[in-house]
Amino acid sequence: MSDQAILEVFHNEAREIIENIETELVSLEESYDSEKVNTLFRYFHTLKGSSGIAGLMEVSEFTHEIESLLDRVRSEEIQVTPSLIDTVLASVDLVKVMIFDEDQADGLSSQKEKILTFIGKNSNEVTDSSRPLPQKRKLNYFRVKINFKDNVFEYGIDPLMIIEDLVTVGTVIEEKIYRSRVPALDEINPEKCYLSWMYIIGTKHAKKKIDEIFLFVFDDNDIEITDITEDYREDITSDVNEEKKIGNILVQKGLITEDELLFALSNMKKEEKVGKALVRLKLVTEKDIEKALGVQVEVRKKIESTTIRVERAKLDGIMNLLGEIVIGQSSIVRFADELDEDKAYALKNSLYGLNRSTRQFQEQIMAMRMIPVGPTFSQFKRFVRDTSRQIGKEIRLEIMGKETELDKTVIEEITDPLKHMIRNSIDHGIESTEERIKLGKDPTGIITLNAYHQEGCIFIEISDDGKGLDAEELRSIAVSKGIIAKDKELTEDESYALIFKPGFSTANAVGDLSGRGVGMDVVKSNIDSLRGSVQIITEKNRGTTFRIKLPLTLAIIDGMLIKVGKSVYIVPLLSILESIRPRKEDVKTIKGQGEVVMVRNEYISLIRLYKYFDQVPAFENPWEALVVIVESNGEKLALMIDDLIGQQQIVIKSLDNTVTKDRSISGAAILGDGNVSLIIDIHGLLSEISSLRG
Amino acid sequence: MEKIDRKKTVAEQIDDEANQYVTFLISGESYGVEVLCVKEILGMTDVTPVPNTLSFMKGVINLRGEVVPVVDMRIKFGMSEKEYDAFTVIIIVEVKRRLIGMIVDAVSDVADIPIDSIQNTPHFTTRIETDFIKGIGQLAEQLIIILDVDKILTSDEFQKIDQEDVSE
Repeated sequence: MSDQAILEVFHNEAREIIENIETELVSLEESYDSEKVNTLFRYFHTLKGSSGIAGLMEVSEFTHEIESLLDRVRSEEIQVTPSLIDTVLASVDLVKVMIFDEDQADGLSSQKEKILTFIGKNSNEVTDSSRPLPQKRKLNYFRVKINFKDNVFEYGIDPLMIIEDLVTVGTVIEEKIYRSRVPALDEINPEKCYLSWMYIIGTKHAKKKIDEIFLFVFDDNDIEITDITEDYREDITSDVNEEKKIGNILVQKGLITEDELLFALSNMKKEEKVGKALVRLKLVTEKDIEKALGVQVEVRKKIESTTIRVERAKLDGIMNLLGEIVIGQSSIVRFADELDEDKAYALKNSLYGLNRSTRQFQEQIMAMRMIPVGPTFSQFKRFVRDTSRQIGKEIRLEIMGKETELDKTVIEEITDPLKHMIRNSIDHGIESTEERIKLGKDPTGIITLNAYHQEGCIFIEISDDGKGLDAEELRSIAVSKGIIAKDKELTEDESYALIFKPGFSTANAVGDLSGRGVGMDVVKSNIDSLRGSVQIITEKNRGTTFRIKLPLTLAIIDGMLIKVGKSVYIVPLLSILESIRPRKEDVKTIKGQGEVVMVRNEYISLIRLYKYFDQVPAFENPWEALVVIVESNGEKLALMIDDLIGQQQIVIKSLDNTVTKDRSISGAAILGDGNVSLIIDIHGLLSEISSLRG
Repeated sequence: MEKIDRKKTVAEQIDDEANQYVTFLISGESYGVEVLCVKEILGMTDVTPVPNTLSFMKGVINLRGEVVPVVDMRIKFGMSEKEYDAFTVIIIVEVKRRLIGMIVDAVSDVADIPIDSIQNTPHFTTRIETDFIKGIGQLAEQLIIILDVDKILTSDEFQKIDQEDVSE
């Protein structure tokens, strides 16, 4: 590997690590957790190592300092304070410059000094004047085995009530009911208790609280309460780097104690497995062992299924090749069609099989391009923290739907618009702290990011609990800025949509955040170019939600192939409402407006596509040709075409903007016969046509 | 560790060596482009026309699954159009990591032209734009106009399209 290549790999890695560090730091500020400090420590450690390998010794040395600072935090020598977090964040900024912007790094030596002095000071003084961060209360875990005497009912004790008391103390992690004492049906005495229970419970309370529940039954019945907090792991499969022994898993799940495990280990027969021994000693059931084995397999899988980084160009390459295969296949199908029925039968059959595999192949590659939105969302945490501080508002970012997967290209394209919308919510959505207190709201504003799949699309929502949009106010601003005419009537939704108009800004003074030449109109056009849409839901003093709807992937659409003259064009199926052959009397010419078609008492303007694309049509008259009714953003158009060819899944190839500036063409696709066909974008076509009309 | 050298661009590497050029004919005149820019040469194929574009942008073709724009060099150079025939070829060149096809009358040769026999572009008095001409090479009494592919495809017209796109 050349030095350049090493540096590139390092840059990619560093970018990811730094993002993670920022997220982790902000979350550490929200609540302290020693695990978070550990994670941070590991990230810095990795960064130190990799920057050393990449030859950036300065970065390596500097990160070493931060690493040792965190090490002292880890060993609880020093406390986590807001000023410590600020310093580490500042040092991350510095590291960023040192890595990505080497030439700039020299000017930052004073900042570096400052950070190093802070670290140096902290090494001597344990106390810090600023308040320590709230500690996250750790849960205690208990295993409770309840084995009532069979005549427990005679004492007026209801086991159910006791169990109900128990489960209110905390959360039940594991619940087991032993039925081994239950006799055959004809021997059952309804006045006897045959069941035993085992609970693993996570609670904030100490053991005393649980003891109290069993206060009255403790002496006569077999009740065993064990504190398993030390050994218990909530998620055994997380953070593993070595195989787990079955006994350890059982201990961590809280099913047995360390002592019991040792007892079983010392009592093992020759050639006997631990699990078997545990079952034999009646410490666990067969089922527990099975479950633990499952966990063991999962852990092993986690160790094995490491990821590899693949350049996107390589994936695209595979995708392109696959496209070639599909094209080749369809030409074989065409040859098969020309053969005799019985000769072609076997060939066609195997082609169908092949077809299925290639389709699956395609889906697999598409799945490879899908990544969860979590990391993208998380990186906004720092952004919200910093910007809200800057303007003196208290705002917290909450994230939902982290695991929702989306095409990587879509994620990249949506990051900037999202950032801008969040900025908009910080700036205009959420009120100042004083205002919020006056309104009786929580002084801390909340912005929520959410992502989910629905209707074969992905939805991303940015919600704030701020003041909401005021339709009347928006309207009057738009009028004063000359965006709409004074007497124009607008519905509420139309008024809300005004904020997406160019030149519209509700901020009275151009703040530091907005007014950088990008407005919500750019956001809207970015989303449009991803073939998405935005919906605004707002309620006064309750907040505003921007709901962005996006296609799952940019690479594939369902298209309708249409023929105009000699050429084949593709119209996205989503835009098509219907296709008709109009009657002669339904086509009318309106002076200065062009032609219209009447479809069920609605006049829709008719576009002769052959004229637009400069083709020689098969039919000159709309009543001989076909008309496809399409729609975009509520506007309808009637496209006159020669013929409908059929529906097909289309792999979109983007067209360089040097090829054409025509907005009606959103890309191209390669058809089964190897020819290139252009994809018509209805939204673009509408705007091209309206600009033609002037 | 010393600072890492940025990789030399392809063009810089060529300048270090004796240069090879793919030569082709447009309207009887010989032109050349650096061989390392040329990805491949195809016979004339079906070109899908694109609406609303510059006159010399003939459209797009399918190059093994990739959609590649093609430019008619005759129109680009302001010459009269000519029917495409069996000799017409599309030379696919790579410019700034994207592919583009040049439709030319015929392809002739791959020639070595020593650097010292290439002279800088003289100031033509004709209409021919000179900014995409790198120089004039001489090869056995024959003049070869050496084109700078980078410039052909980032010339004013293209920039105009780009800018219009941005301003919209």
